[in-house]
Amino acid sequence: MPIGFIVLLAVLELLALFPRFAHANCSAGLILALAAPVAVVTALCGWLLSRGGGYENRLLWWHQWTGISTAAACLAAGILYSSHRQRAYRLCLFSTLPLLMVASHLGGSLTHGSDYLFRYAPGPLRAFLSHATQPPPSPKKDTPWPDIPIFAGIIQPALQRDCVSCHGPEKAKAGLRLDSLSAVLKGGKSGPVIIPAKPAKSEMLRRLRLPPEDDDHMPPQGKPQPAQDDLALLEWWIAAGAPADKTAGQLKPPENVARILAARFGARASASKTIPPKPLNEITPLAAQLSEELGIVLAPISPPEAWLQCNAEIAQATFGDAQLARLAPLGANLRWLDLGGTKVSDSGLAPLEAMPNLTRLHLERTAVTDAGLAHLAGLASLEVLDLYGTAVTDAGLEPLQKLPRLKRLYLWQTGVTPAGAKAFAEARTDKDQIQRWQEEIEQLQARIRDSQVRVDLGASLPSPSSTNAAPVNTQCPVSGKPADPAKTLVHEGRLVAFCCDDCKAKFQQDPKPYLSKLASQPVPVAGQAEQSR
Amino acid sequence: MQPLDSFFQHQTRRAFFKSTGLAAGRIAFASLAFPDLFRDAQAQTGTRAHPGLPGLPHFAPKARRLIYLFMNGAPSQIDLWDYKPRLAELYDTDLPDSIRNGQRLTTMTSGQKRFPIAPTIYRFSPRGQCGAMVSELLPHTAQVVDELAVIRTVYTEAINHDPASTFILTGNQVPGKPSIGAWLSYGLGSEAEDLPAFVVMTPRWSAKRDAQALYQRLWGAGFLPSRHQGVALRPSGDPVLYLNNPPGMDPACRRSMLDGLAKLNQASFERSGDPETQTRIAQYEMAFRMQTSIPDLTDISAEPKSVLELYGPEVVQPGTFAASALLARRLVERGVRVVQILHREWDHHTDLPRDLPLQCRDVDQACKGLILDLKQRGLLEDTLVVWGGEFGRTVYCQGELRHDNYGRDHHPRCYTMWMAGAGIRGGTVFGETDDFSYNIVRDPVHIRDLNATILHLMGVDHNRLTYNFLGLDQRLTGTEAPANPVKGILA
Repeated sequence: MPIGFIVLLAVLELLALFPRFAHANCSAGLILALAAPVAVVTALCGWLLSRGGGYENRLLWWHQWTGISTAAACLAAGILYSSHRQRAYRLCLFSTLPLLMVASHLGGSLTHGSDYLFRYAPGPLRAFLSHATQPPPSPKKDTPWPDIPIFAGIIQPALQRDCVSCHGPEKAKAGLRLDSLSAVLKGGKSGPVIIPAKPAKSEMLRRLRLPPEDDDHMPPQGKPQPAQDDLALLEWWIAAGAPADKTAGQLKPPENVARILAARFGARASASKTIPPKPLNEITPLAAQLSEELGIVLAPISPPEAWLQCNAEIAQATFGDAQLARLAPLGANLRWLDLGGTKVSDSGLAPLEAMPNLTRLHLERTAVTDAGLAHLAGLASLEVLDLYGTAVTDAGLEPLQKLPRLKRLYLWQTGVTPAGAKAFAEARTDKDQIQRWQEEIEQLQARIRDSQVRVDLGASLPSPSSTNAAPVNTQCPVSGKPADPAKTLVHEGRLVAFCCDDCKAKFQQDPKPYLSKLASQPVPVAGQAEQSR
Repeated sequence: MQPLDSFFQHQTRRAFFKSTGLAAGRIAFASLAFPDLFRDAQAQTGTRAHPGLPGLPHFAPKARRLIYLFMNGAPSQIDLWDYKPRLAELYDTDLPDSIRNGQRLTTMTSGQKRFPIAPTIYRFSPRGQCGAMVSELLPHTAQVVDELAVIRTVYTEAINHDPASTFILTGNQVPGKPSIGAWLSYGLGSEAEDLPAFVVMTPRWSAKRDAQALYQRLWGAGFLPSRHQGVALRPSGDPVLYLNNPPGMDPACRRSMLDGLAKLNQASFERSGDPETQTRIAQYEMAFRMQTSIPDLTDISAEPKSVLELYGPEVVQPGTFAASALLARRLVERGVRVVQILHREWDHHTDLPRDLPLQCRDVDQACKGLILDLKQRGLLEDTLVVWGGEFGRTVYCQGELRHDNYGRDHHPRCYTMWMAGAGIRGGTVFGETDDFSYNIVRDPVHIRDLNATILHLMGVDHNRLTYNFLGLDQRLTGTEAPANPVKGILA
């Protein structure tokens, strides 16, 4: 687009007004020669694009004519310059500037939405420039997710963020607007984009899930893409019948959706709120200091993410309750904590309550007993717990029942009995969910069966290498005696039988003399082979 | 000429600006752009014995430790893992030319007039819940097959042991590149303070023949700083030579000698600024700590009988594969990053039925024991175990084919390896070969892909762990062809 050229030219010409920079405009001719054709081509491209439709008419009209005027003024400036009418040329150039600014601002509004200029500006600035459209109110931070209205609070903000700049009031590509529920349900030129209760048949979901390089993928490659979680939420909303005003809690979300909601809008109403990790640069000095002083590894799991791993096992005997307590200020950042073989005690595990984001915890070969496990009850993210070589018993597993994410529990060399372990595992298994999944698997398998094409050619052709194939001959081609069907070899794709191993060996060394006999033999296989002779 | 003099002579004006000017710019930029990273780099290079590179791992690792069981000589995939029932009918028939398709052969069989098919004489049966077919030669490993991802379609280009072993373990057939353990030590460092980051063991073997030679480059550091090379524990006698104090030298005396030496070295460092001097100081310290850590490591008297039984009766004989497997567990337990066991003599050109069972007996129960022992301790959660050789063996017989005896030549076009542990989807059988276990039909896995997978599981993007040498950003997976982690075996 010619904006860079024209602004540069205007600046140079302005400078040239001062005697000190009198020569600033000496390359004006070149710049004009570049700017004028580019302006014309840009206007032409814009006109072609507008034929695609889907733009708000009033905006488009203004953009079109200011753009064409800019191109025309640019051309005029070029002609004036080349005919050495200096003053007229300057006048023309400076009058192009406001035209250009209006045209490009309107162009930006058309492509990125009318609020593009200040959408990402800091809040106070945006409030000050209150002409920018207000984003839809996002649910208050402290609203527990079951009370959030599903369309207004969850689906609409996502559409607003990722879709409305092309499918909204200013620009409705393919005749589709996604800025209100009625518009979403109405669909676009080629029909409805969502079919309530049928996510699999909803065009919008299909396109969102196409690989990004597919031409039909939405949003187009290069534009901001919604997260996988957004798609899961959208699918859930469509599956629930695309309701307008229900709350998330009323729709009883399945487990995966509930997890996304909990992660986005705070923990479950009843559970304690998740504590976000502190930024890495805030905690790094303390982490470095503690690693050095305590002789442990305390480092980011994968920098620059703020999650920390801590290996205190390498400090072994010098690491105990007091040392664990010193990790508490980093509690929200700790994901993996390895206390295996250290001197921590039951009461010393209290700091674990300040580490709600732990996913792996190693307490093996410590003095921890049933009493200590009570401190683990709040570890809502814990997936792996290693307790081998401790005095834990069946009774101690009780508080672990409530850990929602626990996947693996290591209990070798403990007081836990096989029966106790089995009971724990069974109590943790969601049988209804497994039942539901099994039904789903059966449905999917039925669909696979239905979609397969079967080809039946009647009797199958004889194949020499299949186990039940019969030899092509009944008499041994070497000796002429009756052939033993067990003594065979494959020659040129045919299974040949012999009376004994000796004949087979002779044939194998040099089959030529015997081939004629083979050809004259009746072929014992019925069907196609008979017909072919 | 002294290396240091040579170093100073190369400090031309141009070299100076290149190294200092650009580096200073880079550091300034990095500290502005990524203050977190930079601070972390300062923190990590503190007092750790084996610091990793700042910014690594690239993503949250599944595995934090690697145990690599390398079967040097190339085990026969046809007799162990790649079940081909239809070969039985083709006994002693010629391998069709359409299958061999002009494939390069070694000089050991290229003179043969015929390439008669030699079916395996060992029975296969479906094992575990996954039903993977496993040979009767591996009855113990078969018991843990639900923990394994068996990859039947590994392939390589090299056709002889030396280049092939060098290729899979260092990423290049030409010697001089760092081994996989050295790369991991360089990139990730190690959590063990008193043991090396990378430990190698070379146990003895039972096959009745001489073995292919091993080379230090298979665990060498190549162009990486030398402290990243694997430390090989000897199979018998002192695990590390010259580690113990000689008669008449008591520990206190040794300590004061080392302190004095460190002072001299420090003075030398202050004069020359050569970082290799600091490496040397650190290595002396490591050796001193190993004087106590190595005896502690190799003393297995406290291991309960039930644990020893997992590994089989040979576990109590130092220098056996079983004993090495137990040490491998004890090493990763102590925070060692990479343990590599190189078991030799799987090169069964002739008399395969005589030797393969002996070799399998060496490793079979110990592999099971290692996996179960890691599992019961929760170590399998973040330890990756890899098993395999440098290439496969041919379906056709080398030498005379008999019903009870045969041999197999080298076959690079497909062979079987397995992985288990962290991030691996157990009970997976990946890839498919043709009816002759000769060519790959589905899902080929080049050894580059295999190495990329190992790095991926360790939290390393193989494209981003590089070291500039000979004008190239060198990496384990080479710079010649793309490599991709094998997603199909990941959990």
